[in-house]
Amino acid sequence: MSIAPETLQPVERRITQEQLVQYADASGDHNPLHLDEEFARGTPYGRTIAHGMLVLALVSELMTRSFGEAWLRGGRLKTRFRAPVFPGDTVRAAGTLKASDEGSATYEVAVSNQDGENVITGDVSVALNA
Amino acid sequence: MEPGHALVDREIVITSAMADAYVRAVGDECTLYAEEGLVPPMAVAALVMAEAMDAVSLPAGTVHTGQELTFSRPVAMGAAVRCSAVVAANSVRRGTRFLTLDLRGALEGEAAVEGRAALAVPEADE
Repeated sequence: MSIAPETLQPVERRITQEQLVQYADASGDHNPLHLDEEFARGTPYGRTIAHGMLVLALVSELMTRSFGEAWLRGGRLKTRFRAPVFPGDTVRAAGTLKASDEGSATYEVAVSNQDGENVITGDVSVALNA
Repeated sequence: MEPGHALVDREIVITSAMADAYVRAVGDECTLYAEEGLVPPMAVAALVMAEAMDAVSLPAGTVHTGQELTFSRPVAMGAAVRCSAVVAANSVRRGTRFLTLDLRGALEGEAAVEGRAALAVPEADE
């Protein structure tokens, strides 16, 4: 019998421009699409957008909260970035169990914005005995 | 850049200051990392990704369209991680270049974080 919960405790966070600057410094990703308002105005987005990996970090946090170090030893994710996240958006990561056995659990995950639009979707799995 | 082209292969020590800066930036509230002296796996992935992006000098409008990652080993703060990235696919469709990179962060030769990043790269106007 699996010990995997049916749903994962959601993680919610408001994304700010200050956070994008902090993330750029911490990760080394200084793409002006995330940092430079003037540059971003000339793109299809019209303003700066969050780094995809910054928003994806919510999915990893979701899994670490639920599975602790097992996620670090036996975690897998496969996700698509479906829509941009803008400074000021509030994003929420959530997961629902798709399949599980004694050894692993697979969840369908989504990160959605304040309008309910999915900005990231995908599957994650964790080895429960890792 | 043909598939198989190696973009980067270098060792980076992930200090506690680097890990802390990452945790603060993403706002991760998990206490596991500080308690156990571990680096968030996404921080390792982000570092490898940034190394690859630096190596390939992608234009500023490049966006990330997909990400696959496998986490196999925890990375302790202060560990030396071998960061490597290889071009997995590279094609142009309707004015956009689609670039796929294979990423790896390894500890003593064994993968800690591996994955594949899909990027959409705007082609320069001629």
